[in-house]
Amino acid sequence: MSIIRYEQTQGKSLGFYALVAGLGAFILAALGSVYFMEHNGHHVTGMSNRIVWGMPHVFALFLIVAASGALNIASIASVFNKKVYKPLSRLSGLVALALLAGGLMVLVLDLGRPDRLIVAMTEYNFNSIFAWNIILYNGFFVIVGVYLWMMFERRMNKYSRSVGIAAFTWRLILTTGTGSIFGFLVARQAYDAVIMAPMFVIMSFAFGLAFFILVLMASYKWTARPLGDATVNRLSNLLGVFVAAVLYFVAVYHLGNLYLAENSGVENFILLDGGIYTKLFWYGQIILGSLVPLALLYSPATKGNRTMLGLASVLIILGGLIQLYVIIIGGQAYPMELFPGKEILEGYGTIASYTPTLPELMLGLGGVAVAIIAITYLVKFLPFLPESLADDVVDPHHKK
Amino acid sequence: MNRWIILFFSLIMTGAFAHGQKTHSLGDEADSIKDSGKTYHESISVIRKMHPEFLNHKRDKTLREGVRTEEYSLKGCVTCHATKKDNSNDYHPVNSEGQFCSTCHKKVATSVDCFSCHRTTPAQGAK
Amino acid sequence: MEKTINRRDFIKTTTATTAGVATLATGITLTTFVNANENPVTNEKRWGMLIDTNRLTETDIDGMVGACQKEHGWGSDKLSTGDQKASWIKKLKVKDTATGRISNLALMCQHCEEPPCVDVCPTNASMKREDGIVLVDKHLCIGCRYCMMACPYEARSFVHEELTDQKEHMPRGKGTVESCTMCVHKVDKGEQPACVASVNSDAVIFGDLYDSSSKINQTLKKVQSTQIRADLNLNTAVRYSGI
Repeated sequence: MSIIRYEQTQGKSLGFYALVAGLGAFILAALGSVYFMEHNGHHVTGMSNRIVWGMPHVFALFLIVAASGALNIASIASVFNKKVYKPLSRLSGLVALALLAGGLMVLVLDLGRPDRLIVAMTEYNFNSIFAWNIILYNGFFVIVGVYLWMMFERRMNKYSRSVGIAAFTWRLILTTGTGSIFGFLVARQAYDAVIMAPMFVIMSFAFGLAFFILVLMASYKWTARPLGDATVNRLSNLLGVFVAAVLYFVAVYHLGNLYLAENSGVENFILLDGGIYTKLFWYGQIILGSLVPLALLYSPATKGNRTMLGLASVLIILGGLIQLYVIIIGGQAYPMELFPGKEILEGYGTIASYTPTLPELMLGLGGVAVAIIAITYLVKFLPFLPESLADDVVDPHHKK
Repeated sequence: MNRWIILFFSLIMTGAFAHGQKTHSLGDEADSIKDSGKTYHESISVIRKMHPEFLNHKRDKTLREGVRTEEYSLKGCVTCHATKKDNSNDYHPVNSEGQFCSTCHKKVATSVDCFSCHRTTPAQGAK
Repeated sequence: MEKTINRRDFIKTTTATTAGVATLATGITLTTFVNANENPVTNEKRWGMLIDTNRLTETDIDGMVGACQKEHGWGSDKLSTGDQKASWIKKLKVKDTATGRISNLALMCQHCEEPPCVDVCPTNASMKREDGIVLVDKHLCIGCRYCMMACPYEARSFVHEELTDQKEHMPRGKGTVESCTMCVHKVDKGEQPACVASVNSDAVIFGDLYDSSSKINQTLKKVQSTQIRADLNLNTAVRYSGI
């Protein structure tokens, strides 16, 4: 196996500038949306006192969950000692940081008082899982930053394993914390479940890897660097395993809820008669987001085909956004059970309606654009990408 | 290096101008208290420098502990320092252009966050 | 006296004079305020409410909602629509599916002893006072709405638009969360909450839950009452009879 050489991308082509310009347009639109929403107040959005978290939170949580999962590749290399993944570690750390930055930007800019961010950093309620998440997110930046430093600087390489283990543990705690934001809410039928925490961890594996694969394939294609099948097929198989694991957790979550009579209301709502939420769950999350990608990844007809892998990754990301939409918004739309055994005729108890508005959508997309633009620029400034990921370079056991 | 020192000092000096600032309108009630020679709170230099701290402590005492005395209450400030509109019983909002708060705050370019929530005129039904 | 004064003496004299003036000045101000209660509230009292749905009429409840709106200045949202409108107290009509009996009740912040909203607030804006009243410290509220997600009674409202002409005792602003304060500004003066005062019968009783001589304490000992969502073990201060 040869020594991996890392090289910055050129970043001078027309394609590069076109990409940056396009992403920049999205970011400007997002900033404009934020000004519009903050200046007028949230009445211009589709969010209300019943649906308090909407489209921006769907995107923000997706990006945050994917961020922790994107670090997986580096962890597999450092923590589990799989040398084939070693050359991808730097990019993995970068994608993780970029996604988290994008997600946090969306989350903070949707606050009712984003000018009070300093208050959120200085007045801490340690009983609140939300406050813990703020600490975990900031710590993630620090730990992955240190991790990248260990990987970049040759004389620090010997520490990359221990920092890698710390980063791996931190991201597991972080994603558990993110899932617990919902799992700790005993008030709502859709959320009161401890399984939300590990389910979010597994979702992070799938979403993060799907995003990583797209970034990897795009960056190697657009810089005309070789990317061998040994790497790609491994990642493809891993993605399939993660998607299957998410399906398993979703199944356990819903079956568990169905078993508990007190939660059967929300289960019927999501699985059967919830209108848009039922359609999104079955067609969006399950079929389009899980079953079709599994078929694309494992069927002999499409296995090994990079276009199909790209398509599967895109579908997994879309399915992930839909899954979060069903969880976050569907979970809020269904009314709480205030009076068991009684029917509320007036005053409360309807399925809350929510129509996402354009500013909310633009804010969410702006967060994705921030993540991608950060990656685009940083691979130009620093040598994140190996010069070559051809099979003979990457695979220690490759037969010529 | 010299450029930076000059810039730094000129920025600091601008702040000093606020202390020489005469407010355009002290407020109807505040004017009458001043004219009668009484003092209601600390001297101008103390209250100008310390009012954020006084208000910060008082808000916690009122909201979190239920101590509703008049000392350093924002409601108290507004009651005295608001000016009536000409030929009307209505008051100018105390933070609007040319009124009590904005004359100093505009000079030192410090935003006043209080009145996004707090009432800007004395209580309804006040004389 | 010498014409010139050295630096040390100058500093000494100035400090002494300033200290003297400052002490005198604070002395002057302190003496003018002796009216209101200067002591923080303690947990010797716990304010609570008992709502008797057997006696409460729909007109009563409409009156309660109107009184709350008038007291606190909510209810006239110009730009917010539908569920975006502020709603500190709601009228609910509940039917027992088995028996068909219908009850009318008013639902507001239940001022729980173990409030989920206080647990989840990242900045300690959502707080419980020593005497049990649950409030939002809007100076610290960043508008994240997590407390609204956590509230089992959906008692809280988010301000979706710019507000003006607030009541002087009830600051409210865009981008923060608000809810029933149990008229804490009135309670601290020894008065009753506006909603309670608006009902001309004993259908709604307010008082100190810990005071064995109070009407509410004695009524709760005699009459059946319940908490809404009692299974959550929140020990609410607002209790209901007849449901």
